[in-house]
Amino acid sequence: MSIKFAHWKVSVIGLAALGIVAGCLVGPGGYDGTVGVGYVGGYYAPGGYDYGGWGHGYRVAPPRGRAPAGHGGRAAPSIPSHPRGH
Amino acid sequence: MNVLSDRRHRARAILALLACTFCGAALAALPLNLPPISDPASTEHHPGKMIWADLVTPNLAAAETFYSGLFGWTFQDIHTVDSDYAIVLVDGRPIAGVLQKAIPAGDRRQPTWLTFIAVLDVDAARRIALSQGAKSVYEPRTYPKRGRQAVLSDPQGAVFAMLASTSGDPPDYLAAPGEWIWSSVFARDPNQDSGFYKAVFGYDVFDLPSDDGAQHVILSSDDYARAGINTLPPGHRLPHWLNFIRVVNAGESSAKAVALGGRMLVEPFVDRHGGKIAVIADPMGAPIGLMEWSDTDSKVEPK
Repeated sequence: MSIKFAHWKVSVIGLAALGIVAGCLVGPGGYDGTVGVGYVGGYYAPGGYDYGGWGHGYRVAPPRGRAPAGHGGRAAPSIPSHPRGH
Repeated sequence: MNVLSDRRHRARAILALLACTFCGAALAALPLNLPPISDPASTEHHPGKMIWADLVTPNLAAAETFYSGLFGWTFQDIHTVDSDYAIVLVDGRPIAGVLQKAIPAGDRRQPTWLTFIAVLDVDAARRIALSQGAKSVYEPRTYPKRGRQAVLSDPQGAVFAMLASTSGDPPDYLAAPGEWIWSSVFARDPNQDSGFYKAVFGYDVFDLPSDDGAQHVILSSDDYARAGINTLPPGHRLPHWLNFIRVVNAGESSAKAVALGGRMLVEPFVDRHGGKIAVIADPMGAPIGLMEWSDTDSKVEPK
């Protein structure tokens, strides 16, 4: 009886170990065609960059309509102007 | 009798352990169910367009409270065994994601929004980027409904992501308040950087006239401005991307951001389009731009 139970126990523990190994193998994949499991990303920027000091005349927005031509002699386009559904 | 009972208890314990192990393995194998970029799916593609952004933050709940209070965003939480992620919704449309991730102790890093730019083929675009001096930050990865994505840093160190959406790219329209309206790169050498982005995304590049001593470049595709590249302002050391949300009133929104625990980084000012721009940081330190864009704005030249 005790030998029979011990065999059964060994089989169960073996299956459990296989399950753990399978779980590990199915974890995050690598390059080329793999399908994601958890989310890969979460990039933290290096600390210590500050804002401010943009100074007089420092502009970052897109032009409205066609911008005046710059050095290249061509006028830059603007962002889309039509709202959703139009 | 006691021996038999003891064996039964042990057998039950082992069965429970076995069940837990298999359940754990099955859960770990479940892919993160990220929603499609376009719903309903389309065959529309706009390489070079900013189509998504991900925020990494150490406190997802605090980020949700801040951004819902500031922009009226709602969130759809997606939890797996190894990821706490939330989708940002504007009127039910997904526009961004927020990932909770601890900052390693002693690591001097700060939360940031990561810009995702549309491509048709991530692996091909990545090869070009690497050949042009980019560095790999995260290798390509496929999420069934969303598509394939990779994270890189450009030759000057600004980090961005590329994404080939399996559901097509969102159509071009004027962003509604609460949606992404503009993206800027701050670079040491905008000329060199524009050459890189042109090679990778096929942009047209336009120089803008400037009287501030800095260089400003517009990147366009499909005859729409997609992003600007600007010389790093004095005091800025690190090239980076910054994305802007359309707001109705940049002054009111930036004041609200401060009241919600954020910080003012750049006070509202009138930019070249005649509307105001401001830059704030959320309570965890991630910078984000605010931009007014009203159809009734007159083309007021900034002073």
